[in-house]
Order: sequence, then C-alpha cells, then structure tokens
Amino acid sequence: MKPILTIFKKEFKDITRDRRSMMMMFIIPMLLFPLLFTIATVFTTRQTQKVRTKTLVVALITHGNAEAFREILLKRDDLKIREDIAEDIIPQFIQSDSIDAAIRFDEQFDAQIADLRRGQIHLYFKSSRDMDASRNRLTTLIRDYENQIVNDRFQRLALDRMIVDPVQVRRHDIASQRERIGKSVGGFLPYIFVLMCFMGCMYPALDLGAGEKERATLETLLVAPVSKIQILLGKCGVIVLSGFASIANSFIGFFIAIMLQREIVARILDALQGMFEISSILLVLSLCLPLTIFFAAALMSVSIFAKSFKEAQSIMAPLNIIIIIPVFIGFLPGIELNVITSLIPVLNVSLASKEIFAGTIKLPLLFEVYASLTKWFERESTIFRET
Amino acid sequence: MVIAKNIVKTFKLSRQQKREMGDGFQGNTIDAVCNISFTCQPGRVFALLGPNGAGKTTALRMIATMLKPTSGSISVAEYDTVAQSQAVRENLGFLTGNTGLYDRLTPNEMVRYFADLHGMNSADYNTRRDHLFALLDMEAFANRRIGKLSTGMKQKVSIVRTIIHDPEVIVFDEPTAGLDVVTSRNIVHLIRDCRNVGKTVIFSTHRMGEVSLLSDDLAIIHKGQLQFNGTLEDFQNQMQTPTLEDEFIRIVEDE
Repeated sequence: MKPILTIFKKEFKDITRDRRSMMMMFIIPMLLFPLLFTIATVFTTRQTQKVRTKTLVVALITHGNAEAFREILLKRDDLKIREDIAEDIIPQFIQSDSIDAAIRFDEQFDAQIADLRRGQIHLYFKSSRDMDASRNRLTTLIRDYENQIVNDRFQRLALDRMIVDPVQVRRHDIASQRERIGKSVGGFLPYIFVLMCFMGCMYPALDLGAGEKERATLETLLVAPVSKIQILLGKCGVIVLSGFASIANSFIGFFIAIMLQREIVARILDALQGMFEISSILLVLSLCLPLTIFFAAALMSVSIFAKSFKEAQSIMAPLNIIIIIPVFIGFLPGIELNVITSLIPVLNVSLASKEIFAGTIKLPLLFEVYASLTKWFERESTIFRET
Repeated sequence: MVIAKNIVKTFKLSRQQKREMGDGFQGNTIDAVCNISFTCQPGRVFALLGPNGAGKTTALRMIATMLKPTSGSISVAEYDTVAQSQAVRENLGFLTGNTGLYDRLTPNEMVRYFADLHGMNSADYNTRRDHLFALLDMEAFANRRIGKLSTGMKQKVSIVRTIIHDPEVIVFDEPTAGLDVVTSRNIVHLIRDCRNVGKTVIFSTHRMGEVSLLSDDLAIIHKGQLQFNGTLEDFQNQMQTPTLEDEFIRIVEDE
C-alpha cells in the first residue's frame, strides 16, 4: 500500500504543476457552464428583442377587399405596408429581402365572406429568416381579423358562439416544475459531466502513461522495487482524482451559471436550485465515481499500450466520440432508465442522473446502475493485471 | 555479484520490423542475445562492449528485471531476476545515458521519491542525501525544477537517484553517451568510487578509452553473441593489433 501512496503523492504533485491538466481539472469545467449560459442567454435575448421590435415590410394586395383589415395594418407602427408590388413578383421580393412578407386576398374575398362562405387569404413568408417572425406576427393579426368575422357572423345569425365550441379542455399537469425542468436539463447535464469526466481523465492518463514512456522516466520507475500493478494503481488514483475534480467543478460552474442569470424567471430559478439539493449532487457524484474509475482504467491501459504520446492521443480522440454516443442516446425521447438501460455503461449514468435531478429515481434501478458499473470496473482491472 | 548463465532473449518481430530487416531476412523472431554467460564480481568493474545494436542494452535490461530472458538465468546479489525480481530491484541501481527525469519536480523531490520507493527511512535518507549532494555539489540547485537544469546538473540528479539506496549492484547503460567532457568525468569518478567501496559495477559502452580507464573485466558482444569474456589483462595479452580500439574493430569485423 505504501508504494501506491508514494506514487500517488508524487504523481499528484507532478500533475498539479502541469498547466494543461489544471486547465482540464479546474478552469474549463468551472468556466464552461457560465460561458455557455451567458452566451446562450445574451444571444437569444438580443435576437428575440430584435425580432419583436423590427418593423416588418409587408406587401398587401387586397383587390379592394377587406378594407377593415387593411386599415388595421396601416395603423400599426411595427408594419410598413407596400401596395405597389405585383402578385407575380412577390416571391422574388421576399427572396431578395426587399420585403419580409406579403398578404394577398382573393378577388372574391368580400363576396365570399358576405355569403357566409370561406374566403382565402394568401400569406407569403420565408420561414428560415428571423426565427419565422414575419409569419408569427402576421398570423396573429389575421387570426384576430378572422375572429372578428366569425363574431359578426354569429351576431348576424343570432347564434351563441358556444355552438361551435362544445368542449372545453382544461389541462392539469401534475408534474412539478422541478420534474419538468429536471427531465429536460437533467438530460443535458450528464452529457457535460460525462464529457468533463472523460476529458479530466484523459490528460493525466496521457501524461502519466505514454508521456512517461516518451520521456524515458517509466524505465527508471520499472527498476524501482515496486510491482507494475502498484505503479498503475498509484497513477490511476491521480487520474480518478482529476476526472472527479472535473465533474465536481462542473457542478460548481453550473451553480455559478444559474446564479449569474438574471433573465431566468423566478419560478424556473427556484426549480433549478431545487434540483441542486445536496442529496441530488451527492447521489450523482457517487454514480460518477465508478464511471471515473472505469474511464481512468481504460485510458491508462490505452496510454500504457501506446508507443508515444501522439499515438495515445490518436487512440483516445475517437474514444471521445464513442463515449458521447450512449450519452446522446440518453437524450432521445422514450429512452428511460429501466432494467436493461441501467446495465449499459455511460448511458446508465446519463439516464440515472436525469432521474435524480427530476427527483423521480427508483431505488432498485439505482442499485442496478451501481452494480453494473462495479462489474465493468472489475473487467477493466483484469486488463490492468495483464499490463 | 551478477551471474548470467546461458541467457537468450528472443523478440517477436512485427510486420513493419520484418520489412525493415530486408528481403533476405527469414522468420518471425530475432535473437537479440544468444546464449551468453558472464560473471561480475564485487569490487570490480565489468565492461560490456559492443557496437550499436549488439545486444548490450537488452542484456542489461534483463539484469535490471525489465526484460525476462527467453531462456537461461541471471542472479543479482544472489537473487534470481525472474523469480525474485523485487529483491533484485531492491539491490540494484540502474542508470542510462538517456535517463529520464521528472521535469516538474526538483532534485530534492526526485531523489526523495526514489528513496521512498526503496523504503528508506528518514534518518538513512537524510544522511545519504546530504553526503551525495555535497559530494556532487548539488545543494545550489536542489530546489530548482529539473526542467530548468543543465544537462550536467541533470546527470548529477540521475546519479544520486540511482545510488541513493546504496545498492549492491550498479548498472550503467552507455552512461556517457552524448555527454560533455566534464559530465563524463563525473560518471567515470562515480564508477571508480563504487568499485572502491566494493560494489559490483557493470557498464556498457562502445568507447575503448573508457574500457581501458575503468574496467577490470570485460565481455565483447556482437550480434547477440559473446566474442570475448575475461579480464582486461587477458584481453591485452592476446591482442593481435597494437591498440585496444583496433583489436575491438578486428573482432567485430571478423565476425
């Protein structure tokens, strides 16, 4: 045990003096969430604001119909109405951004409405632009106009509007705010945690395995009176610590990110803070520990197997993508934690974390995840012994 | 004492290595060391001589337990290198010209690390450390990061790292390769000092000057085969050419 501790202490000291490893352990995990949140919020808010206040240039062709609607449009400050554009060149004008949208009424529109028939309005727009703002804003105006026509008709016919609305559906969602947010945000968080855990393990593994080989320091260590398994365990301890520190720092980063967000609605903020109860965090961290050990063992094996730092990097880079696949599957709708998914490494941690954050984790499945992760670690340690 | 008996080391070749061997090469394996035997006595310096690729490093790595012999046996300080590898490593110091050091540690930390791995207690470590640091004039840079030291300073750190636990057997694999005159002289002094205090010293080289300066016994190895094994005196007595260097070249080229 003492040689393992000696190697662990030395490697820990060595790694804390390596800027790249410290970046992966502390700086990146702590800054990632605040940066992502800030960028996302700032850009989304700005874009939404821009789209909401933008004056839309709209071509209007009424053929003398819908005078009331035309007047509504002309009175609005957020619309600039152009009535000089011919029907056949509307698509070109929208395509070239000369106008944002166009509204065209059928020639018989008023007559059809008067006869209690259906009149047609054509709305031209480009959905790929400005978050589909033109269509949304104009559809609202058209719907108001349509409502007005419907009300006129009911009045004319002396009927109650309830005749066409016989059923009223009232929705009662019994899922708590935390559950709803937990299921969506909780699905995204494991993606970052698993990735951070992998990245946190990767650099020390590269340095302590292939890096030592390349610097010819491994040779001197192999001549010391310690067994290979002791060397590997000492080194792996530091890799696990680094990976685990990355996850813990991601949590801190996420918490800072939430605290910094002023735009988040108070009730969502409360739910997010509720997700970060100490018990939830400890439970997720306890799940991440065997996963970190699994990553550390796998990466150390690769690193020791590789002839050089470069070769180890070239093997680990595709692994980075491979571990994202099970996490990504955890995002997919309908994929839930069950007796089968709780056996699949990485995916089980991703799904279990989601359930923990939502506060809906079932204990038997949680234990199955632990059992599965422990089993996988045992298999990896077999690889160790053969190294 | 080191006793090597009929040691053979066979390496399996990869496809690329086979291609590099040329079209004339047949088979999937290569014998880096073929059936060699020698004995290194305490208080004497044993030189292992041979051109590049002769099998010197392979032989020394087998002595240091880094490689297992395919057949034959080696005993170091009366311990078998395969069955009692840990005990062998406890009694061995190994230094190569290419010795790697941890750049982010200081000489103090580096030496302490290896002392701890050898299970030295604090009192023994402090006495030995102070003696060696003073001997090699290392106190001035004892707390500077190794990455920032000169080649000569680094070599001193390597030397102390190798002998901090006062091993019975010390192996030097081409210790002066690529070093300047001053640093090489440090190594030569160290080898002499080790011999004078009764250690078993083995060093490999392809420089005949170092052999005549230091060695008591020598073995010449070429293409994995032993060409000569005896004392320096025996070697000088049976020389067919005027100098040691010429004789070495004659033996190697005759093969």
